[in-house]
Amino acid sequence: MYREYGRLVFAVALRALGDRGLAEEVTQQVFVKAWRASEGLDETREIGPWLVAIARRTAIDVYRRESLRTSAPLEAVSADDPAVVTAPVSAESLYETWEVRHAVGDLPEEEREVVRLQHFAGMTHGQIADQLGVAVGTVKSRSFRAHRRLATALGHLKD
Amino acid sequence: MTPSNDDRIAYLAGEDVTSLPADELAALDALRAELGTAAMWEEPPGSLEDQVVMAVAQAAASEPRSGRVSAEPAAQRAPSPSIWSRLRAWLHRPAYALSLGLSAAVAAAVAIVLVTNSSTTTPALQFAMAVQGTPLAPGAHGAAKLTKTTSGWRIELRATGLPRREGNEFYEAWLKNAAGVLVPVGTFNDARNVTLWSGVPVTKFRSLTVTQQVANGNPKSSGRKVLTGTIR
Repeated sequence: MYREYGRLVFAVALRALGDRGLAEEVTQQVFVKAWRASEGLDETREIGPWLVAIARRTAIDVYRRESLRTSAPLEAVSADDPAVVTAPVSAESLYETWEVRHAVGDLPEEEREVVRLQHFAGMTHGQIADQLGVAVGTVKSRSFRAHRRLATALGHLKD
Repeated sequence: MTPSNDDRIAYLAGEDVTSLPADELAALDALRAELGTAAMWEEPPGSLEDQVVMAVAQAAASEPRSGRVSAEPAAQRAPSPSIWSRLRAWLHRPAYALSLGLSAAVAAAVAIVLVTNSSTTTPALQFAMAVQGTPLAPGAHGAAKLTKTTSGWRIELRATGLPRREGNEFYEAWLKNAAGVLVPVGTFNDARNVTLWSGVPVTKFRSLTVTQQVANGNPKSSGRKVLTGTIR
């Protein structure tokens, strides 16, 4: 179960909290809560949204706990300061993280690396070609195939 | 001009495309933004799986659940493709008799979770076990992960509530079988992060005990138990 969903739960937790250590804590708690709740759960229910919901609630709890650690006096904090907002990321956003992370994980490794270097590292095709030691044309091909897979998996293409 | 799927793919890949309507641009922009976040690419640490297994094992040991234990051998269970059946099978594998009961003050145990490594052609046998304190150390508790390797069974113990022992005082861990035969599996000073090794199978030697020992030339167990876990 962890091997199937652990990476996705971690990604959602990291997206929600932006901190690896807290994301690890949330991931642990999510699987414990999933175990506690599994006995009476409807087996027809999709597990992805269910785990995302647990992860979001758990991340909010951890976020609140961490927010209480700040030492600034309340009157020094404006009403719209993020520290006083209880829900850092919407459920819809977190489920999108889940779905995108799932689609990224399904990419062949060579295509996934191109996507990572392009979007996360901000590299051009030429820079990626240098990094990977392949021709620019190869990078462009891998990029096109990868983005086509992502767009297909995530419902962005039309018939 | 009607946008094509190649236009959508090109835009997603970062090219300038002017034929897409605003709502599609917004959706693809959101996806591009998502692909640029650390959450999309950072991997959890390798140790997180172990931590999850131990956390679930500890929860199972401290939260008895009625009707949970199944003595039905795995081979006789009707196959079920649903993820929930797989989840419950993962968490409550009755490969050996399980007991999730908890004895409050004395040695108890007992949550064994069987985890198989599905990423290799030959599954690695691995268990997680909760361990509890004794009247000598009522506040002690923890978990152990037991992994079968070619060198023997590796036992990774993580327990709190036991003071450090030093000098000629130390802790020793033992495995015991149904006949009462004791096999030593290692000595240590601090129980918070210990790796022990067993040359006997934990499937036969199902009781794990930690005792207080003194280096006085007597290799036998002192009988002063501070931590135990037992497969019932």
